[in-house]
Parts: sequence; structure tokens; C-alpha cells
Amino acid sequence: MIRGGRSYVTSPPSFSNDAKRLLVCTGNTVSVFSAATGLQITSLEGHTALVTTLIVVPASTPAQKILCYCWTASLDGTIRHWDFSGPELLKTIDAQLPIYSMVIPSLLSEPQQIDKRRELSGKLVAFVSVEDISVVNEGSKELRGHIRRFNLAKPRVPRGDTLKETAEPESIVISPSGEFFGIRHKCKIHIWDVPSGGSRHAVSRKMTLHHTKVINAFAFHPTERVIAAGDVTGRVLIWRGFGNRKLALGNQKKKVRATVDLDNPGVRGEDDTESCTTWHWHSAEVNVLNFSSDGAYLYSGGREGVLVVWQLDTGKKKFLPRIGSPLLYFVWSPDPTLSSVVCADNQIHLLKMPSMEILRTISGIKPPPSLPRMYEGLASTVAFDRSSGIAALCTENYCVQLYNLLNDRGISEIQVCERNHQPGDEITVVVTAVALSLDGSVMSTTEVKLPEDGIGGLVSLKFWASEPDSKTFTLSTIVYEPHRDARVSAIAFHPTRSMAVSTSFGGDFKIWVCNSDKKQTDKDSSWICHAVGSYKKKPMTAAAFSGDGTVLAVAAENVITLWNPDKNILLSVLGTTLTPVTKLCFAGKSEFLVSASHFPRPELSVWNTSKLSLSWSYGLRIEAVTSAVDSSAFAVLAVIPKSFKTDESNENIFRGRDGAILLFNGSDPKPVSIWTVIKAKGGSISFLEGDKSQLRLAYVSGSREYVVFDPNSDESHERSAVDYDSLTGLEETGDAGYTSLYGQLPDYDKKRMEDVDSLATPFISSERPWETIFSGSTLNFPPLQKLCAEFFESLMEKRTAVVE
Amino acid sequence: MEEELRVRLNDHQVSKVFPVKPKSTAKPVSESETPESRYWSSFKNHSTPNLVSSVAALAFSPVHPHSLAVAHSATVSLFSSQSLSSSRRFSFRDVVSSVCFRSDGALFAACDLSGVVQVFDIKERMALRTLRSHSAPARFVKYPVQDKLHLVSGGDDGVVKYWDVAGATVISDLLGHKDYVRCGDCSPVNDSMLVTGSYDHTVKVWDARVHTSNWIAEINHGLPVEDVVYLPSGGMIATAGGNSVKVWDLIGGGKMVCSMESHNKTVTSLRVARMESAESRLVSVALDGYMKVFDYGRAKVTYSMRFPAPLMSLGLSPDGSTRVIGGSNGMVFAGKKKVRDVVGGQKKSLNLWSLISDVDESRRRALRPTYFRYFQRGQSEKPSKDDYLVKEKKGLKLTRHDKLLKKFRHKEALVSVLEEKKPANVVAVMEELVARRKLMKCVSNMEEGELGMLLGFLQRYCTVQRYSGLLMGLTKKVLETRAEDIKGKNEFKGLLRNLKREVNQEIRIQQSLLEIQGVIAPLMRIAGRS
Repeated sequence: MIRGGRSYVTSPPSFSNDAKRLLVCTGNTVSVFSAATGLQITSLEGHTALVTTLIVVPASTPAQKILCYCWTASLDGTIRHWDFSGPELLKTIDAQLPIYSMVIPSLLSEPQQIDKRRELSGKLVAFVSVEDISVVNEGSKELRGHIRRFNLAKPRVPRGDTLKETAEPESIVISPSGEFFGIRHKCKIHIWDVPSGGSRHAVSRKMTLHHTKVINAFAFHPTERVIAAGDVTGRVLIWRGFGNRKLALGNQKKKVRATVDLDNPGVRGEDDTESCTTWHWHSAEVNVLNFSSDGAYLYSGGREGVLVVWQLDTGKKKFLPRIGSPLLYFVWSPDPTLSSVVCADNQIHLLKMPSMEILRTISGIKPPPSLPRMYEGLASTVAFDRSSGIAALCTENYCVQLYNLLNDRGISEIQVCERNHQPGDEITVVVTAVALSLDGSVMSTTEVKLPEDGIGGLVSLKFWASEPDSKTFTLSTIVYEPHRDARVSAIAFHPTRSMAVSTSFGGDFKIWVCNSDKKQTDKDSSWICHAVGSYKKKPMTAAAFSGDGTVLAVAAENVITLWNPDKNILLSVLGTTLTPVTKLCFAGKSEFLVSASHFPRPELSVWNTSKLSLSWSYGLRIEAVTSAVDSSAFAVLAVIPKSFKTDESNENIFRGRDGAILLFNGSDPKPVSIWTVIKAKGGSISFLEGDKSQLRLAYVSGSREYVVFDPNSDESHERSAVDYDSLTGLEETGDAGYTSLYGQLPDYDKKRMEDVDSLATPFISSERPWETIFSGSTLNFPPLQKLCAEFFESLMEKRTAVVE
Repeated sequence: MEEELRVRLNDHQVSKVFPVKPKSTAKPVSESETPESRYWSSFKNHSTPNLVSSVAALAFSPVHPHSLAVAHSATVSLFSSQSLSSSRRFSFRDVVSSVCFRSDGALFAACDLSGVVQVFDIKERMALRTLRSHSAPARFVKYPVQDKLHLVSGGDDGVVKYWDVAGATVISDLLGHKDYVRCGDCSPVNDSMLVTGSYDHTVKVWDARVHTSNWIAEINHGLPVEDVVYLPSGGMIATAGGNSVKVWDLIGGGKMVCSMESHNKTVTSLRVARMESAESRLVSVALDGYMKVFDYGRAKVTYSMRFPAPLMSLGLSPDGSTRVIGGSNGMVFAGKKKVRDVVGGQKKSLNLWSLISDVDESRRRALRPTYFRYFQRGQSEKPSKDDYLVKEKKGLKLTRHDKLLKKFRHKEALVSVLEEKKPANVVAVMEELVARRKLMKCVSNMEEGELGMLLGFLQRYCTVQRYSGLLMGLTKKVLETRAEDIKGKNEFKGLLRNLKREVNQEIRIQQSLLEIQGVIAPLMRIAGRS
């Protein structure tokens, strides 16, 4: 069982002391990447919830540069001390409360001081931001976020003394010198100084800076008393000389107080600063603020995806433009020529300083694109290469990312539309679908350019051929307006030959063939239209080839039609469903065809194509269907209905999971096994057939986390069971937990069995049976007398007994 | 600015600059470039003087420099094959029908419609011999390939005559054709073997040594024979008649090997061309204006080229460097190839002659820092075979509208691309503006002159099928949003009138297309059913 696709960007990364390694918080673990190659070296595993803070113990002398110690804090309420060269867990401290942020000021202070302090008092003080889960009641006005002081040196941590209470846990920012730390709280910044001398009873003194807008980020100057803060409107504020009165050192106190005068330019109210200047360049919120190590420059970035360097004295700017995604963090390394910037699209860019060139990128799985409302649920943005375990995922920046699911690594990106993505812009171009052929050699994408005021819209279909060795694709054919101006609803590839079908809402489908079949030159292979078909001018909504490729099933709204793809002959019509079919899939090489529809009434039906009849159906909303190539097994990803989830008895079975993967075998309406998953909406599943002829099932959730597991073995049962136990609360990062085999869900099954009983015949009992009484093949109609009686009965509008 | 941009583009960038590109157009399904077509299209067109009347015959001299004899009207003009300029003219009493060089290229023979065959020295004006015997117009005359003493001629009297040139007497009359004799050829392997083709549909093979005046073999082409040639082996002939070209095996008893019927009108002339790869092809020209290259080994037409006139005659120089086609309107379509080895040979001979001057030249060309070229030396040096090439990354070249789009100066970008007058680019820029949601804003911001330019563009291209999807909608929007600016202005009046006419015309076309579709649809339905 393989899990992956975790977010790299939940909390800021950190460089090791020799700047050769980068530590990244990835869910429950900390991954260590090599800065030189961008590949993962090792990972620190032990936390049972999201790791929120990562502090690498800085080296104070050059000799210490090889030391690889770090502290982590997590939502599971523990603080751990690691040697990440090992990796080895050195110490665990249980804080008992979920920790959202932690700073350890004494690590940053002068080296002699640390040593002295350690020797003298043997204690290490940390300030943490925790959530008080004792008052976790929803909607209560209690202040849940606490800032507390812990002593990490002691084996058993006391409750710690609380410095400040906020509504939500805030993240703590510490000054590079370790003298001050602070939090932002709405329009205010609260700053404390770290009590020096290490005496236990010294109380931190506090001061507050005010602003009129909500502050998003702030940073301390490394040497001077300067604070930079960025707000939601894009302004950057620089306060100089803060805390001269309130946080002054003891012996200077009197002198400073004497020099205070009343005209402090730009300072709001009674704030304790000398001056406040404002820079406004960013058009949207500022997320990133960081001073350079010598304090001469300020780095800022935000939603626009532009890293701005401000010269602190003059306010002059330099830019690293077009990063293409909102910036989240900017981190310096001990090596002054290396820094890293973290983007919201799960990418960590390593920058060469000071020229700000991107050296390399650590690429996580990219988040799904945000689609306009009309495309939600219709786009298929994930495709799988079954043999190599590579997923092709549409991304925000009009690319298709190829991601290896088996070793959790991004391979390459293919620019589908020649456009740059600017975060925050109106979406005008959408990549609506990506499909891969069974052998992974051909990819097809469709994109839609949305019209402005009704002019200039364009749909195009593209075919891509894979490069032989490097796993990337090159454009082979563009088809503009493949179905006039109608949108493409689905693309399906022939299992063995280079043939594809695209269906459109405009009422026709086209079969495309590659003309490189005869000639061996791949270079100038191109795809041409082989045949066009339509059925009563109905919108075509889904298509699938049978396992041997001899039959093409196309759904014309709610009629399923079977075609011979070579001769383009309509073979037969396969009954009607109640609602338009959105997905079609043949169950392996068997004669069973799975169809799914979800609006307005969700339905999953299995048809027997040899008898041309409905085998069985469920009233389930299906997100994805996949079938194994060799066997007749197929799996569906179903969204669990809300009514079912809120049921008291089911509450603890599902625990916030909203979807289930059901594995069926052939025509048997009883699922072989069921797994419940989270974030099923927008998710996707596929069977993967590796070299070892081992069948595995891959599930990519709506937020692009994934799990690959063996649906038949017990091993996954055990391992996933462990994971299942460890997953707690809403913050779980594991996406799929195996719950039980079929027999372990009695309630669920009974319910399903009823459905099976009532729906096993081709007649779908509904409140209005006259609509459906004649659906299905005429061969399967009951005798005329019975049919007549039933029909007239239905016309009488006699209330049928509804099961539910 | 531009330079700075280039430098930055060479770096690794997360996102790149994408210049606005017009939509690519469909590629032809078949391959356009074959080695064969490359060979035949590499003949560069060469302008020649118009000869007013139909070019009846063309002949190349078999020896270098392969001068060309062109028969047109009552004249034979000699052209030099290098410059293709007329150097000498010979006049006749009647229209010249055929011309042929002797194997040493010193003499040529020509016949005219008065039935006279004349032999000329290419350097002298007057005819050396005048052979009179044909009682009707003579249609072809031919020197045997190596034989310098005899001539073969044929005419509308149906008689093929074998001449002794020196004595100006007929050695034998070859009787047998029942209609006009129009063509003939002599065997490349045997000087006394010849074939003649006639309007009685037959091609007859003769042996001049046999005095019984009986043909050896006869082949029926099926149509009046316009031209006949021996293929290089001497055992096969190709005949042209009607719109077909047929290849026959003489040794195998006159069996047809293959036929080519891709011309639409009568094939007028046939020649055998030797390609660079020493393969030979049959080249034919016809009244439909096409020249076709026929690979008789594979029975396939490998190249086809169209000329703007009915074609009458064809000449291919023996060294393969020149291809000349005569048209019925007096045009001579000449194509020349660059022959490299000839140039090399000339250089070599030059070197032999001027060894000393060469040394002298090298001393003279030694570059000193006082020369400007000293600083450019070696820049155009070609890499040798074992050099390792370090390729410089190509900077992206941005056009003017791309630069303006990069600076978000949308309206200026649209105006600048409109000035360029490349419709594909204009539409591409418009699509980009649509993607940025800025097209309507651009239109509403346009000044009057710019609006006129836009309207002019729309008027010209809004009914072009490739662009109409976008431009029709845009035209409507422009007229709606800028109605008050357009109304009542004199400069827009003409444009609007033209626009209206274009749209009306398009609507009519669409209607008639629909009508045709209505007619065809039932037929298609019936055809599909049966």
C-alpha cells in the first residue's frame, strides 16, 4: 500500500545547517530532500497528526555544521527532537494539546549564551501556540488559541503559563536574533521580549502595534528594532524602533525615555515606535515577508506570485516575476547563495541568490484546477497510465502534470495551452479533460476557451504522442472545434489500436484514428477523423470501448447505443436509464457494461450487452468507474449520501468520510469489498496493472492525495487498519482508510440488499412507474396481461408503497 | 529592453513567454516531399523570350555545352543552354515540325510542312543539304544515335524514308503505315533499328538493313500515336497516344508492360530522363498543361507539375541540368538546376592554369590588423565533421504586437497587428484579447481612424470560413457598440456598404449550399441503404 500526494506547503520548510538538505513537513512526516538533486533522501516518521512546526537547531560554530538536530511540533500534541541524519527520534515531549506553532528563542541567541544557559539552568524554553481542546464546543465564544511557555528540558512538561489567549491558534514569529517573538491577531501585532538571563521567573513584557487592516504576515529585522508587516490589501508597513519604551533593556530604560518625542510620523495612536512607513506595490494580500540576513533587503510576496525585493533604505524594488502561483513562504538557507520559495501549487523552488534564478524545483502533486461552475462534475481531470502507475493530472496553469504514483514524484509537466497562469485572474481557458490510452503512449486533452460577450469561444481537442524514453508528451495533432462549437463530453481510447472516440453535447461522436499505423515513423503521426455518428441528434455524454475493442458504447443522454467502431454501424440500442448517463465502462472483457448517472437522480446500473438487458442497479452517486483489463472485476467510487451519513448508528463507521470504493465482480450485485474514503468528491480511481501482474487499485482524492493498494490481499488490510486507528479527528491527512470487508457493515448491507431486491429486474420501481415501465428490451417484458394491468394501474396514479 | 528580455528567457523560468500564434492549418495527409519530387522541383524557373507561335519541337545537342534547338513557326532558334538566350536563327519556307541534332552536335536536321528535310551546320546560315522526296508535310526527322551519315524521316504521306545525307538520296522507302506518320525514334543500341508511330494506331519497328520495306514488328496502341521513344535498354519502347502512355516490351514479342493514363488530354511529347541516381523515368507533357514523371519500373506517377498553357514539346538536356517545355502559345518553360560538379571542374582547370597567380593571391589575402575583415575572420567558418557543436539557445523573437501585449497595451497591439495586414495574426491577437476579456474594451476605445481600419479588416475577412466564427460575432458587436460613431460618417459609408454586400452574398451562398444539401441528402440516404 502506497500513500502519497501529500501537501508540501502546510508549514514552512527548513534548510539543514550545511544547506545541502531541505526538510519539508509532509502530513504526518517530515521529508528530507537533497537540495542538489531535489529528490527525497529520507523521512522522519513518528507523529500521528499533521506536523506544524519544524525547527532545525542552528549551528553556532563551523564545526557544528554537521550536526543534524531538529525539533518538530505536531497537532497530535507532542514535541519531538530528532537527529535527521539517522534518522533517529531522540526525545518526545507530550504537551497534551494540539500545537499549531512553536518557537525556541534560546536556539537563536548567541552561542556562548546558549551553552552557558544549558549548562547553568539545563533548560530550553519554547513558546508554543496551542489549541485548548477542553473548550472545543462548536460555536462557543471561548478563546481556544493559547500562547504558552514550555520548558523542553524537563522530562514532564507542566501546563505552562499562558501569555495570551486568542480565538483561534495563531502562528508565532520570532526575530532572527531570538530577542523578540510575536503573533498577529486581526489588525494587531502583539510582541513579547524573551526574558534574558534565563531566570525562570522573568516575565515576558508585551507591546502591541495597531493597523487598520487585517495583517497577514510580519517579520522582524535581524539586527535592528524594525518590523515589517503585510496586510490583506497588499500594503507593506515598516515600523522602525519599536518597543524603545516598553521593551527597552533595563540599563537603557531611562535614557531612551528621555529622548522620546511626540511626533512619530505615521505611527498610529499610542504605539511604541519611532516611525511607520508604508509601501504599496502588491495588488492582493501579502503572504510572505522576510528580511535578508544582513537586514538590507526585505523580500515580500503574495497572491500575484511575484517575489519583490525591497531595498530597505531607499524603497527601490527588484522582482522575480511570473512564478505563476501564490507564494506562501520564503526561507533562507545557511548558504547565502541559496534560498527557497514555497508556492501554493505544491512546488518548492530553490532560488540562487542574489540573482533570484530558479535552480530547481521540488514538485509535489499539483492541486486540481478551479473550474467554472458549469464544468464542475463534468471535467475528468485525472487519467492513469495503468502499466507504469503514472497519473496525468490537469493543473491550474493549463498544464498536465505527470506524476508517478508508485514513487511519489513529479515527472514532468506538459503545457497544454500556450498561456501563462496568473493567480487571481478570471478563468477564461479551461482544460476540461485528459485521457490516456491503455498503454500510455497517447494522451488526449480538450480545452475550452470561454467566449467574451458571446464572441470568440473555441473548443479544441489535442492528441499527444509520448516520447520514447523521457516520460513526456509532444503535440501530435490539434483539432479545432472537433464538434463545431459544442463541447466535448468524453474521450475514450481503444484498448489495443490507436483509435479514440470523442463525444460531444452537440449530438455527435467522432472516431479518430492515427495514420501512423502503417508507417513506422512516429514523427509525423497525426490523427484524422475516421467516422462520425449520431443518434437521434441527442447529446452524447459518455463513451467506452469494450475490452477487446470490437464494440463501442456511446451514451446518447439516457440511451446507451452500441456501435461497431470500424464500420461505424449501429449494432443495437441498450434500453434507457432515467437520467443522462455520465460515465460508461465495460467490466473488463466480460459482456457487462457499467453506466453511471448522477443528475437529477443518481444511479449506477450494470447492463448485460449480450442479452441487451439491465442486470441490476443502485441509487448511488458515482464519481468514477474503473475496470480491470483481464478479469471482470470493476470498482466504483461512490459518494455516500448525506442522509445515510448522519444516521446515528453510521456516524462512527464513517467518521467524516464522504465516499466509498466498492469492488464488484462481474454481474454479482453484491460488492466484494468496500473501503470508505475521505474527499471523494472530484476524486478518481483506477486499476493499475504492474509488471508482476499484480492488480492494484489507485485512488486520487478530490484534493489530490492518493493511495495505491492491493484490493485482494490481507496485507493491505492490516496496514491500513493501523492507519485507520491512527487517524483522528478532522485533521487526518491519510485519505483512504480501509474500514472493513463486506460482512462488517451490517446496516449498510441490509440497506443495499433491499435495493438489490427491488432493482434486480429491468424495471425500476419509482414513484411514477409509467415513465419506466417500457424501458429495457422488449424481450424482457412480462406477459401482456400483466403489463396491461400494471400500465393502467400506473395511469390511475394509485400510490405505490414506497419502501423508504 | 529586447536584449534584457532575451537574456532572461535563456534562464530557467517557471513560466514562459508565449507569443501569439495563429492557428495552425491542416497539413496534407500525404507526404509532400519525396526525393523524387525534390529532384523535379529543384529545376529553377528561368525566364525565356516568348516565341509567339506554338513550339513544335525541342532538341538538345548531345555534346557539351548542349545547345538547344527550338522549332517554332517557320524558324529554328538555337539557344545556349547556359544562359538560355537565343544565339542564332534559321528560317524555313514553311512551319517547322521536327528538329534533331547529329551525334557530334555539329549538324542538325529539320523538316517542315512543305515536306522538305534540311540539314544545317550550326555555325552556318545556309542549309548544307535539302532533301526533297516527301509528297506531303514531313512530321519527323531523326538522326540514328551514332550514325552520322543517314537520316530517318516520316510524313503525312505515310511513308518512312531512310536517307543517305551526303548524296541527298532516299535509300529506302519504308511502306506500311496507313495514315499520317507523326513520330519515330532510333534504337540507342543499334543504328539501323527504328520505330515509327502513326495515326493508324500502330507503331511499327523497322530494320533499315532489310530492303524489303517490310516492318519487323507491329504494335497497336489503340489510339493515334503522337510520340514514341526507345527506353535506354533498347528492348523496350514507350508510346504516347490519346491521353495514355504505354510501355511495350519489343523483345518479348510486343507485350504491353504497363500503361499510364493520368493525363486528361492528348499527350504530345515523351522523353526519357535520367535522374541523379541513374534511374530513368518517362516524362510526358500533354495538352492539359501537365508534365508527369512516370516511373515505369514501379508503374507509378511520381511527380506532376502544372503549366499555364497546353504543352506541345519537351526537351531534357543529356546532362540532366535543364528541362525545357514548349507551350502552344509560344511560351518556353525552362527550368535549370545548379550543377555543382561542373563548377568544381572549372575551378580545377582554373587552378591548373594559374598556379602562380594562386600563390600570389594567397599572399594578397593575408589579413592584417589594419583590415576591417581581420576582425571578422573565421566568423563564417563552417564546422568540420569532428567538431563538437555547442548550440546557443535561441532567444525568442517577439513581434511588435507581442511586446505590446506583454505590456498590457491591448488596443495598441490590436492596431499594430491590423496595420500588418496578416489576417491570421490579427485573428490570433483577437483571440488572445478574448482570453484576456479585453476585446470589447479595445473596440470601445478605438479612435475613428483605427475603427475604420478595423471595419475594413472585418469587411474583408468576416466571411472567410476560417475566421468567420469569431469575426461575424465581432462585426455585430462593433456595429452595435460604435453605432453613433459610425453613423453618418462619410468615410465609413463605403465600408458599410461593402460589408453589407459581403454578408448578403454569404447568406446567398449558404442558402444555395443548403439547397444542394437538400438535394444530396436523400441520394446519400438511398446509397447508404443499398
